[in-house]
Amino acid sequence: MSAVTLLTGRWLLALRRRTHVATVSAISLVAMALGATALVVTLALLEGFQHTIRTQLERGGVHARLVPAQGSELPGGNWLEKLRRRHPDLEMEEVRSTAVWCLSGGSAVPAELEIVSGLHRVEVNRVLAARLGVGPGSELVLASPHLVLTPLGPMPLRRRLEVEVVREGRPGEERGVVRVGEELARVFHGADRRPQAVTLQAKHGRDAWRVASIVQKDVPEGVEVVSFRELNRPLLAALELERVMIAFAVALVMVVAALNLLCNLALVAAEKRADVALLAALGLPPRAIHRLFLSLGAGVGVLGGALGTAVGAVLAGVLDRTRALPLPRGVFVVSHVPFRVEPEAVALVMAVSFGAAVLASLAPARAAARRDVLQGLRYE
Amino acid sequence: MSEPAVRASGLAKGFGEGATRVEVLRGFDVQVESGEMLAVVGPSGVGKSTLLHLLGLLDRPDQGSLELFGTDTGRLTVEERARWRNRHIGFVFQFHALLPEFTLAENAAMPLLIAGVKRREALHRAAGLLEQVGLASRANHFPDQLSGGEQQRGALARALVAGPRLLLADEPTGNLDAANARAVFGLLRQLHLSRQLTSVIVTHNEALAGQCDRILSMARVDVSGRGVRS
Repeated sequence: MSAVTLLTGRWLLALRRRTHVATVSAISLVAMALGATALVVTLALLEGFQHTIRTQLERGGVHARLVPAQGSELPGGNWLEKLRRRHPDLEMEEVRSTAVWCLSGGSAVPAELEIVSGLHRVEVNRVLAARLGVGPGSELVLASPHLVLTPLGPMPLRRRLEVEVVREGRPGEERGVVRVGEELARVFHGADRRPQAVTLQAKHGRDAWRVASIVQKDVPEGVEVVSFRELNRPLLAALELERVMIAFAVALVMVVAALNLLCNLALVAAEKRADVALLAALGLPPRAIHRLFLSLGAGVGVLGGALGTAVGAVLAGVLDRTRALPLPRGVFVVSHVPFRVEPEAVALVMAVSFGAAVLASLAPARAAARRDVLQGLRYE
Repeated sequence: MSEPAVRASGLAKGFGEGATRVEVLRGFDVQVESGEMLAVVGPSGVGKSTLLHLLGLLDRPDQGSLELFGTDTGRLTVEERARWRNRHIGFVFQFHALLPEFTLAENAAMPLLIAGVKRREALHRAAGLLEQVGLASRANHFPDQLSGGEQQRGALARALVAGPRLLLADEPTGNLDAANARAVFGLLRQLHLSRQLTSVIVTHNEALAGQCDRILSMARVDVSGRGVRS
């Protein structure tokens, strides 16, 4: 064990000698640990929410979408049948959509009518259900914005339907959507029109991210594959931005802790002036004195970071498992505030603690190494 | 004839700037033979400690040259001077005898630890020295559990643990009562002889200085800039 290591360890942990240095180091350590705890819990909270949103997207959303490279309709031919045979594990739905008005109880709201092949019920998403105040069993009138000529003059095309299912919809979805089977396509969309898109969905949500790459080589020319990431790009980008910005804001706590460490190390350097001078007289070179103070700071960073990270991880785990922070039902997609500790977040917090501590130690270490030995020896 | 352990010539050292500058040493020559014990005496502020700091490579002279055991110390870098102090010079100070967070054994082993000797080996060698100064039973005590005399004897063990050739002591008995001062000085003299050291002892105690091989008496630098010594 080198003299620097021995000195670092003893100065950090010599609380039983009740030295000022150990007390000051302990205060810095607690500050660093609190910062690390705050950062870990915040990152766990953000990851918890984001994981929930991603899971919802993977489970309930479209995993990839085939759209025409040009125009508004997909090319004809039997390529879709071939694609279905080649990828039987993927669910594929042809989509024909058009704009409609939805009327119920005196309210009228614009919505998108999706005509889905093989669907034999009427579905509305939560957005539309909330705007119109409808639910399963409610009546709904669809009105085409295009007018048709009747004996009474030009009138909008109308169909009365009964809502059977209210779908969760995708996180971040803001438009109202009605999904119906092909029988209504004839009325609103024209029977002979080709689909505008095909949605793809894997059996397991976790495969959502690779559906596009799986089918990419099998789609014909004129068909573009929009990946899961592309489909959800605005939401995913917003989530990532939110995580970075909040983590950055909370990381300022670590900066404050590091500034506290800087002040405390400066105090230690003053307090230990005579001892450092004595060590220099015994032959400890300035470079080793510099290293000694850097080690002190790094020690506080590592110990404080590890302690704070451990406390934060345990706290986040307990909060998640005990569902200690419930959320109002029906407002959020989850019943409680979720926390999720990722190894990457732990490593990040440890790295930030260590880095901040070392940076904060640079100035006091430099000052201690440059201090006049003789002044230290005269200092009594 | 062997070369002197310490050969200083034309040493000059001053402190401060401009009108407040004080010349402490000017044109100072001193030579200490190998194995000699030199006592440096004189009133306060005369430059005894400054001389000791120059000899101990803790400070650089403004002018003049200093050779220790044939090495021109003026050419040494800061890091080399630190290494030189660690290997060849032992210090005993009036204050700051021991580091408070370390046991007596660890304090005594510190120069060896600084030199990179393994902890076990360093503590073993320190234990041998502590036995020589009569503190074997106190090896695991912390400084605040030791008397002033014991602390200073511990500091003496630390000064000698790395096997230095030159021992520099600045008022080593200044903080002790008469009985402890005699005991510590007697021990210092005994170790000086048994280890064939070259020692320079700064002291105000003329009775103790009288036990040294030679006394260097320093006086203030006069207006002409020359110090008086005998």
